[in-house]
Amino acid sequence: MKDPYEIRILPPAAVNLKRGAGGVLGGKVENTHYEELTVYRTFPFRFDEEYISVRNAKGEELGIIRELAELEQDSREELRRELQYRYFLPRVNRIVSVKFKSDLWLWDLKTHLGPTRLAMRNLQDYVQLHSGGRVILSDISGKRCQITDWRSLDGHSRKWLEDTL
Amino acid sequence: MQTKFKLPEFFQRQVSEPLLLECKADLDPEGCFGEQWIAVSEEKLVVWHRDEAPRLTLPLAEIKDARAVSAVGGGSLHIDTDFGPVVAVRYTAALIPMFDYAAKLIKAAAHSEELPVLSERDLPRSCPQCGNPLDEGMQVCAQCMNKGKLAIRMLRYAKPYKLQMVIAGVLLILTTLVELIPPYLTKIMIDDVLGAARQSTRLLAVIGGLGLTTLVMAAMQAVRGLIGIWVGSKLMGDFRKDIFSALMKLSLAFFDRRQTTQFIGRVNNDAEAMRQFLTDGVIYVIGQLLRFVAVLFILFSLDWKLTLFALIPVPFMVLLSMKIWPKIGRLAYQQWRSILRLNMLVGDSLQGIRVVKAFGRERTEMSRYEQTNTEVVHNNLRMEGMWQFIFPVFSLVTGAGTLLIWYHGGHKVLEGTLQLGTLMALLSYLGMLFGPLEWIQQMINWTSTAMAAAYRVFEVLDTVPEVMDVHEPVPIGTIKGDVAFTKVTYGYEKHNPVLKEIDLQVKSGEMIGLVGHSGAGKSTFINLLCRFYDTDEGSISIDGIPIRSISQTDLRKQIGVVLQETFLFEGSIAENIAYAKPEATPEEIMRAAKIANAHDFIVRMPDGYDTQVGERGHKLSGGEKQRVAIARAVIHDPRILILDEATASVDTETERQIQEAIARLVHGRTTFAIAHRLSTLRNADRLVVLDKGRINEVGTHEELVKIPGGIYRKLVEAQQELSKIKGVEV
Repeated sequence: MKDPYEIRILPPAAVNLKRGAGGVLGGKVENTHYEELTVYRTFPFRFDEEYISVRNAKGEELGIIRELAELEQDSREELRRELQYRYFLPRVNRIVSVKFKSDLWLWDLKTHLGPTRLAMRNLQDYVQLHSGGRVILSDISGKRCQITDWRSLDGHSRKWLEDTL
Repeated sequence: MQTKFKLPEFFQRQVSEPLLLECKADLDPEGCFGEQWIAVSEEKLVVWHRDEAPRLTLPLAEIKDARAVSAVGGGSLHIDTDFGPVVAVRYTAALIPMFDYAAKLIKAAAHSEELPVLSERDLPRSCPQCGNPLDEGMQVCAQCMNKGKLAIRMLRYAKPYKLQMVIAGVLLILTTLVELIPPYLTKIMIDDVLGAARQSTRLLAVIGGLGLTTLVMAAMQAVRGLIGIWVGSKLMGDFRKDIFSALMKLSLAFFDRRQTTQFIGRVNNDAEAMRQFLTDGVIYVIGQLLRFVAVLFILFSLDWKLTLFALIPVPFMVLLSMKIWPKIGRLAYQQWRSILRLNMLVGDSLQGIRVVKAFGRERTEMSRYEQTNTEVVHNNLRMEGMWQFIFPVFSLVTGAGTLLIWYHGGHKVLEGTLQLGTLMALLSYLGMLFGPLEWIQQMINWTSTAMAAAYRVFEVLDTVPEVMDVHEPVPIGTIKGDVAFTKVTYGYEKHNPVLKEIDLQVKSGEMIGLVGHSGAGKSTFINLLCRFYDTDEGSISIDGIPIRSISQTDLRKQIGVVLQETFLFEGSIAENIAYAKPEATPEEIMRAAKIANAHDFIVRMPDGYDTQVGERGHKLSGGEKQRVAIARAVIHDPRILILDEATASVDTETERQIQEAIARLVHGRTTFAIAHRLSTLRNADRLVVLDKGRINEVGTHEELVKIPGGIYRKLVEAQQELSKIKGVEV
């Protein structure tokens, strides 16, 4: 009998992830087949690929994958892709410009998922500074982008960021 | 209502049947920024990516379910088919509401059910012109709005003060002209008076002229200033009055969607920004412009070659102004934010001082403060440093212009081609020319702030209340209190009904207890009865008259409310009790308080009924506040009474007193009571159990507990369990 109050760490061998024909992540977890699985980052900012909570379609936790790298290759790639889909948090490669126009801060960004534009009403609520140089930018509509480490941005982007923040 | 997306022509051709839905997702199949189109007809669901051929086609017959699965920062539309789940499209957070709706529509279409209705709030809010996201309720963003129209509308507010404005305008033109005289007089003084011998009478005349212009200028400035302030204060008052009364008239639904605090700023700050634009802004900008043109004209007529030299620094001034002011603005904003952070940190630590002490983390808090404090100091230095730097730079540029004039003008004077006085006059006029240039960016800034403020204000003024009185409301007089709900359906979002087909007949004088889990629709039931919202379907009638045809003022005269969150206004207890009936006599007030079991505790207070309550006044306990609120309802003497969790969070003795008061209040009135503690409903004639928006069980306490597996019975059992733990009897 499983203790319901215990965090279950899944042994890497017990996880076999596949993508179904319809593009939905599924697979085998501890000998049970699931047509649909959802994955959650438990520490979305601190760990990208560690401590991943695996849940069934009803949202019940099946267990935690301690480290993505431990999985065998196919599962690893599928999980990585699914995390990217589920955590839509494009990484900012370059800040093209930051402008303040009649009450809106407009950020033109180049991200690893393509160019985008964010609109903020102010900076104190829409820009979060985290430890390790990470910056989370959010938008009036709820869209978010992240700068993994502002210190590693190119000079042009850093200048915009420093001017603004 | 349709989404505002229109399927591209070459996709449209591929579907022959009429479309139920067409919309665009903002991510490509790989989860990158891009686009995909989705269309739903009565036959099938089709998704296209870049190619003309569809990426996915699913016959509706194969679809079992459609779900909008939310993820972080976006989501995906999952379609459950006989062959397993399929991801139709992925999208970012901006489109989540729209795809929630899309999923419901696809499911309904697949099961041939009635299609849900799209509400405007489901659509992504973006400006139709520039595509930037919009605030709730705005149609065009502040950048794309028609500035001319806004300015004209603002100016209309100045209409009642036309005369004063015209006088101010004329005075403005006059002062500008008079201001130009002194340098010219100086020129005459130097060239014609001081240069020639024995001109003492002319000297006196010129000095007299100088004195007179100074005097006239001072007088006109004072008068203009006074008019400005007078008109400004009046305008400000008009703005504030209009905004506040527009806010009061709006329906509750408007406030549900917005944070109330934003309006507090809106009433004051936006009115102030508009006032500034109308009085200072318009006058200042026009005045400066006028002066600029006039000075330029005089300069050219004095010596056009020299003037051209003098104008060399002008482009630099403009450039500098355009560069420097935005920078200052950013720095000031940064400084403001770092101070805000510092204040928040102090607030946090002091509010949590018990936790800090209990865990012995004083040092951590101190170092956190230290860090933020250093930041403030740093920002302060940068900001103040910048200020110290601006004006010297401006004067450097101006100085360069002056030097040029001195150099060329000086040569000319030495050559004898230019009179000394003209040179002096040129220099004075030059100073007048440069002054306004330093502020050019600031002027643009003020104008755009005022425009944005005006836009927000007019947005509120233009919002039409959702709950409207009918043209000729039925006079109801004093009602009996029969209430009937007929097939009432309502949802705050139309496709997501909170109440579904509610049917209920209540006789006058009956007490109805509304029971159900939180979110079952109890409060919505009450809100509809008060007509804070209008029903989507079905109707509610009082004494057989539909409440839609009763004026809201008449209706609310007949309805009294005692809410869980008792709100007392700034003022005395007596004023608060007499809120609905300001003309109530002291005796009436006391009688009401007595019925509400409030008389004794009020009299015991040193200031009695005159005790000041509200934000700054005496703090009443929760139980005391509730009894004041009951007294308020008593004096209102409504035929229909609504009690919303009136006895939550008070001790047993207070509860007993409130219960007693309520029992007296309820007597002879149609009453609707909501309570989590079922014991408070023991006096109810009938209990109505709501579950997921529908009436599930109706009956007395005794009848309902007998239903095996009934919701009410479960609720009672659960509460008995809870009270056993607490050791209290229910």
